Amino acid sequence: MVNIGAARLGLGGVLLSGIVACSSLPVPRVDDASLTPQIELTSVAFFPQEDHQCGPAALATVLNAAGAAVTPEELVAQVYLPARQGSLQLELLAAIRRHARVPYVIEPQLDTVLHEVAAGHPVLVLQNLDLSWLPVWHYAVVVGFDLAQRELILRSGREPRALLGFAEFERSWALAQHWALVITPLEQLPVTADETRYLSAVAELEAQQQFAAAAPAYMAALARWPGSVAARFGLGNSRYGLGQFTQAEQEYRELLAPHPTLGVVWNNLAMSLIAQRRWDDARDAAQHALELGGASADAARATLSELNAQAGR
Amino acid sequence: MIMLRKRLSTIVGCVLASFLFASVILPAAQAQMVGTDALLRAQQMQQERAAVATALERADVREALLNYGVDPAQVQARVDSLSTDEVHALAQNIEQLPTAGDDPLGILLFIFVLLLITDILGLTHVFPFVNHKHR
Repeated sequence: MVNIGAARLGLGGVLLSGIVACSSLPVPRVDDASLTPQIELTSVAFFPQEDHQCGPAALATVLNAAGAAVTPEELVAQVYLPARQGSLQLELLAAIRRHARVPYVIEPQLDTVLHEVAAGHPVLVLQNLDLSWLPVWHYAVVVGFDLAQRELILRSGREPRALLGFAEFERSWALAQHWALVITPLEQLPVTADETRYLSAVAELEAQQQFAAAAPAYMAALARWPGSVAARFGLGNSRYGLGQFTQAEQEYRELLAPHPTLGVVWNNLAMSLIAQRRWDDARDAAQHALELGGASADAARATLSELNAQAGR
Repeated sequence: MIMLRKRLSTIVGCVLASFLFASVILPAAQAQMVGTDALLRAQQMQQERAAVATALERADVREALLNYGVDPAQVQARVDSLSTDEVHALAQNIEQLPTAGDDPLGILLFIFVLLLITDILGLTHVFPFVNHKHR
């Protein structure tokens, strides 16, 4: 009787430990030499999750760390789907924009997570704690690691300091396609940021008229990638959006000096000159855009008719 | 429901697009030359077409969020803050995309309590420390 009981306990144990079971997956390779041996971002706030609301809790954790003061309760109305009892990844990205930050999905490697944490940026991760008969999706925030112990420190659910081995984490993270995002204060960049992907993320902020947030993000990008055309163009556009037309003009001119054949820049320069009521300069710039042809020609025609309409008034 | 809506959206989109197409092309076809203004309007038409597609997808996503119980007062701001690509992804398969919300510890606790109760009721015999009266 005792033996059978023990066997059954064993079964229950297997069932329960399924959540944290080590798998046959190889332990992720980590470049220890380039990392600090251990770190814990103790100042990152902890918001224990309410029922099914790990999304708002994890999101509040990273937003506050990036300088955007917000509570999980406020975020429930922005990311929670009552009938699905959870939050979609894409809605997390959208909510980050509403709080004037740049949502950046990092490269899908543990190494990248560790480098961001080492740089002081907590990383929001999606995990799938697969029980095979019951997929459990979960958002948590990595706030530290210990290379010697091969483990991560996470703010997770109701645990302020959950410890998870690299291999166990890798298993749950791999089942969620290694999805993770990082948010930084606007004047900083994720250390692992890819130029094109990061600027696309900022451009979306600009597209949603969040110029006050986009401008410092573009400036930070320019500090990292001084030759970036997209970053300077975006900075010019953000200045224009903020009504700072002379500064916008300055950015466009700085871009045109080394890149005189960029028609779209000539076009936007013309727009910034129209806003300053400098009709002749605007006409010259728009004419340049028109002559360069391509996609900018259509924009230039619209700009010229706008110019004629305004100058004729 | 969503499928039907999608089909309706496509039909409405086609009708709207062809209407735009006709209204732009007709004046140019009647004239001898294609004027600059017609070109301009043709460019605008492409943008309007894309805008129509996006607007319909946004309407789909809005509908889906409402069906999932989002507060009607909040839904527009949520849809507006999505990028065009994100709206497209959600419009394609919002039903299949994961929604994370569970607390893993909570689930473990739930399973533990469930097994404990079934043990106490004598339905299972998982935990040896549960005293089975009917034995």
